Amino acid sequence: MSTNSVTESVDEYCKRLWKALHKLPTPEREDFIREVRSHIWERVEAEPEVTADVLTKIFREVGEPKELASEYRTQAMLHEATRSDAPWVLRPWVLLRATLRWGVTSLAGLVAFLVTVIGYGCTVVFYLCALLKPVFPTHIGLWLAAQHTLSLGYWNGRLSGAEVYGMSVRPPISFVLLGTLGPTGGPIRELLGYWLIPIGFLCSALFFLATSMFTRWFIARFNRKKKWTASLFHASSIPQSS
Amino acid sequence: MAILASLWTDKKYGLEILRALDGKSSLALAEGTLYLILNRLKTDGLVESEWVDAGTGHPRKYYWLTKVGKERLRAMARFWIQFSADLGALLEPLSDRKEKRSVYQ
Repeated sequence: MSTNSVTESVDEYCKRLWKALHKLPTPEREDFIREVRSHIWERVEAEPEVTADVLTKIFREVGEPKELASEYRTQAMLHEATRSDAPWVLRPWVLLRATLRWGVTSLAGLVAFLVTVIGYGCTVVFYLCALLKPVFPTHIGLWLAAQHTLSLGYWNGRLSGAEVYGMSVRPPISFVLLGTLGPTGGPIRELLGYWLIPIGFLCSALFFLATSMFTRWFIARFNRKKKWTASLFHASSIPQSS
Repeated sequence: MAILASLWTDKKYGLEILRALDGKSSLALAEGTLYLILNRLKTDGLVESEWVDAGTGHPRKYYWLTKVGKERLRAMARFWIQFSADLGALLEPLSDRKEKRSVYQ
């Protein structure tokens, strides 16, 4: 291949990488491209003969622009999530966004996302119940209905076709969050009364803290790269030197 | 850790780091991703970098360990050496030599 056509191919690759990295701040993007370009040229110059196949191989080994950009974005978000200085009210958002993105590409990410959704979902239900108990005292509560269904949330007031909107558990494995487990018939009994207010606020705070801490720990522990022994590369996951 | 360790002796540019990893260990790395990791290590303050015109026609970005980076690497190395020693002791009975001996006993 002539030098001109090699230059064109390298430029074309860099242009694709530039487009793929559109979410990055411009100086960081420019620096990254410049570095990758320099890297490709080093590789090209080390080859005795540069054919189209050799060039394709080099590009493949450097990485597909879209995959590189996606990996970069995921890592940046996870990094932000574990070290976030965001106000505590925004942390769920940062953690949910990061784990959702991570969950698209890995099983560990999916687990992290589901745990985060369930944890913050419980936080919301406990908080709303504690807050709304004085407003709807006969409808909001912790309810025990037929078929041993234990539900926390808003009861529709019916005995036949009773539904509780919030979260429900029914042994052995039924669990519903931010919804209803379906109508149940027969007696329904409230368990906590006004104790729901302090207990609800307390559980809400506990779920919030536990979810935030667990998700951050989980990201630091399991955010593994595909092709190498991840924890060894994760400087931030090793304890600080004493 | 391997990337940090490859910078222990001197400053290196990306391709040199890759070659150091390739030659000394079985840690294969997607090349472009190396720069993502280096970028993150830099954000964490573990490495520093500088563009140098090496006279090759293409400037190279050299990386070296910061003081914090060296301390962190030492801590990681201590952790790893202890970990592998403990694991080695645990796996010792599984080694061929010991197994043969146990057959004769």
